[in-house]
Amino acid sequence: MIKAPFEMEKISDEEYILNMGPQHPSTHGVLRIVLKLDGEVVTGLYPDVGYIHSSVEKMCENKKFEMITPYTDRLDYLSAVNYNWAYVAAVEKLMGIQLPERAEYMRVMLAELNRIMSHLLWYSAFGMDVGALTPIFYAFREREEVIDMVEGMTGGRLTHHAFRIGGFKNDLQKDFLSRLEKFLAKFEDRICEYEALLINNVILTARTKGVGILDKDTAINYGVTGPVLRGSGCAIDLRKNAPYSVYSKFDFRVCTGKNGDTWDRLKVRMDEMRESAKILKQAAAMLPAGEFCAKVPRVIKPAPGEVYTKVESARGEFGVYMVSDGTEKPYRIKFRSPSFSNLSVLKEITIGSKIADVVAIMGSLDLVIPEIDR
Amino acid sequence: MALLKELLYNSGKPLSEFSSWMHAIWAGWGMPGFLLDFIFQLVIVLAVTAVLVLNALWIIYYDRKISALMQIRKGPNRVGPFGLLQTLADTVKLLIKEDVNPKKIDILSFWIAPLIIFIPTFAVFLVLPFGNGLVPADLNIGILYIIAITGLSVIGILAAGWGSNNKYSLIGGMRSAAQIVSYEIPMVLVILAVVLMSGTMKMSGIVAAQSNRVWFVVPQFLGFIIFLIAGNAEVNRAPFDLPEAESELVAGFNTEYSAMKFAFFYLAEYTNLFLTSAVAATLFLGGWQGPFLPPIVWFFIKTYFVITILCWIRWTFPRIRVDQLMEFSWKYLLPLALLNLVVTAVILKF
Amino acid sequence: MNFQEILEKIKTKHEVLESKEDLGVLNAYIATAKIAAVAAFMKDELKFEQLNFITAVDFPANNAIEVVYHFFSYETADSVVLRIKLDRAKAEVPTISGVFKTADWHEREASEMFGIKFSGHPDLNRLLLPDGIESPLRKDYKNPDMTPLPKA
Repeated sequence: MIKAPFEMEKISDEEYILNMGPQHPSTHGVLRIVLKLDGEVVTGLYPDVGYIHSSVEKMCENKKFEMITPYTDRLDYLSAVNYNWAYVAAVEKLMGIQLPERAEYMRVMLAELNRIMSHLLWYSAFGMDVGALTPIFYAFREREEVIDMVEGMTGGRLTHHAFRIGGFKNDLQKDFLSRLEKFLAKFEDRICEYEALLINNVILTARTKGVGILDKDTAINYGVTGPVLRGSGCAIDLRKNAPYSVYSKFDFRVCTGKNGDTWDRLKVRMDEMRESAKILKQAAAMLPAGEFCAKVPRVIKPAPGEVYTKVESARGEFGVYMVSDGTEKPYRIKFRSPSFSNLSVLKEITIGSKIADVVAIMGSLDLVIPEIDR
Repeated sequence: MALLKELLYNSGKPLSEFSSWMHAIWAGWGMPGFLLDFIFQLVIVLAVTAVLVLNALWIIYYDRKISALMQIRKGPNRVGPFGLLQTLADTVKLLIKEDVNPKKIDILSFWIAPLIIFIPTFAVFLVLPFGNGLVPADLNIGILYIIAITGLSVIGILAAGWGSNNKYSLIGGMRSAAQIVSYEIPMVLVILAVVLMSGTMKMSGIVAAQSNRVWFVVPQFLGFIIFLIAGNAEVNRAPFDLPEAESELVAGFNTEYSAMKFAFFYLAEYTNLFLTSAVAATLFLGGWQGPFLPPIVWFFIKTYFVITILCWIRWTFPRIRVDQLMEFSWKYLLPLALLNLVVTAVILKF
Repeated sequence: MNFQEILEKIKTKHEVLESKEDLGVLNAYIATAKIAAVAAFMKDELKFEQLNFITAVDFPANNAIEVVYHFFSYETADSVVLRIKLDRAKAEVPTISGVFKTADWHEREASEMFGIKFSGHPDLNRLLLPDGIESPLRKDYKNPDMTPLPKA
């Protein structure tokens, strides 16, 4: 948190400073962006984060291992399952717990449903950002179905807290698979509908093509991950490049863009939903019977050591770096959040564009503030 | 019954008869005639304003219902039958709310801005022919008057943006000024083509010119489209809602406004929408003319047809960017409107 | 590449003070002053183009703060951890934000959370914390507003 960004003190007579946020309709949370403007053109930008810093990492040091999972829900409330996963995977890796096959598939299915949920919400929010008020209702129609499915499975609609160390609390609901099948049957068409409604719209393409171009090298140098990085043309997806769980068994494509502009990032997310649907179909077909949770010791006390596990969340690489000293509580936890790095590149790609572009570019980065501030 | 029919279908005659009859009585009482004229004018103004305010309330409801239809939801349905009284409830709420004046505002322009926007939008309706002879004041320069008066609203928006002492408001006001000025020009050029075809600037004359031929929407189809686009931009509705783009500028020029002053903006916005649609219906769709139904009904049907198109556009498109907005006006609309004018002139000449 | 190979490669150019394997990942201790050079070497020659994160771990028992740099290679899917041991009282380390831009924000965060000075950093302002909170993630941090519950 800063009072006056240092760069902003050098400001010419033609320029002025505009505080976008901390309360602003399109910063998606409590994010403050200090803009230096010349008319409508952005000449300087300084993201100011930390308004909702809650010191999750410090809190985790005082909690037992099994008590930390719900905290990871709250980091990214839009794809909570993926964040649970990175954390429980870290503990499981430290303890050497082998998951039963069924649990792995269930995790994949939940994570992909979660990705679809998150992307649908991003789609609606992006529509609002660029002034299209209708897409949200269409996207939420499907999102509601997905949430209902996930709710039936986990009991939660937003912060699911679905994963336990070693697997799951309960098995899949009886009608989960039939509902999933029914949903997937029409989802493909629905994605085409979304694209027709917003992504391929003339005004939207005019507004997003060639705007906020992020080239490959800059993206990697800034540690950008996820759909934003893939939009820049890097075919990097942790599910393919460093496959965790059973992802290596599925047949799916890593969607990439060409130019790295805002529109490519949108397109990548739309394609990713298709791929997620594909994975879900395969996972539902391959789902084995058996246990849904491994045998886990009652007291979770991993051996001393360090571990870094990462998953491909809806926003990019989410990682948990954990140092254990052999007690019931972690010695140190660090959450590596994708939006943190994705936001840091904002300045690089925004300068020289208009105020409206700042909003569109931020929307295409798909930021979730709690995971930046933690 | 016959009188009612006459009143509905050919309002001009009975009204003028009524006027001269009243004048006769008035003169019998020994009162000066201009006083009666004044009273007549007052009654007309009040009647038009009352109709328009009620109409604006209805348009808001209509717009919300259309948006609900497009967004697969139900829309207002709680207050009154089918939610018809929702807007009334909203308005009452706005009127009884506390009127917040931020500390460092420019009090004069902050207070006067809603009025500058509100009054001209209503003043314009004086020259609109609602029916056969049902024109509050049939000026010879009717359409010119409309252009001139609607141009005033930009001053109000600028004043609101400046007076609020808020950067978002100021940007909104500036955007609005640029936008309205840019879109006024193609609009005027299109109107000129219509004036060329009808040979008069009188609104009733323009309607009359369409009575024995086809409506101007057929020969002036390009003009109609340009008018709709420019008109949509003039009333600051999506995709041209840049002055109040809520995702960029919070609420643009009315960020700091609340309560009654905000209600003024809100009503003015929807009255403006009605105005643009009504002018479009009059210029291109033959005004109040039509078979079977009384003229005033036709007038409203046509106007609501245009409103529906504008609502449809609003709830479908994302917002355009400011430089594209300017580009679109100056690079595409203006040359097209000029071409339209020249072609019309050439065809009329030969 | 397994961790031995990576270690050998680093050792050809730079000095590794100490190394260990932790769950298959190489942890190499580097001299404090060398970190920027090693990071550049990792990025350019070993193709570890992603810097996942920078953080620190406080070990008051050893009177040390360890700065942790986690690298990942997209080509080979290998991870490497570089570590630096710092004195708790005088924690200062050269920045690597010239090599990896992402280090900018991660260093700012580590700096305010652990009171480490990243010398040469272009903008070592506070990132997440408000003024007045000093290095909360150190183990000996005491919140002045917090009173411990009485023992039952």
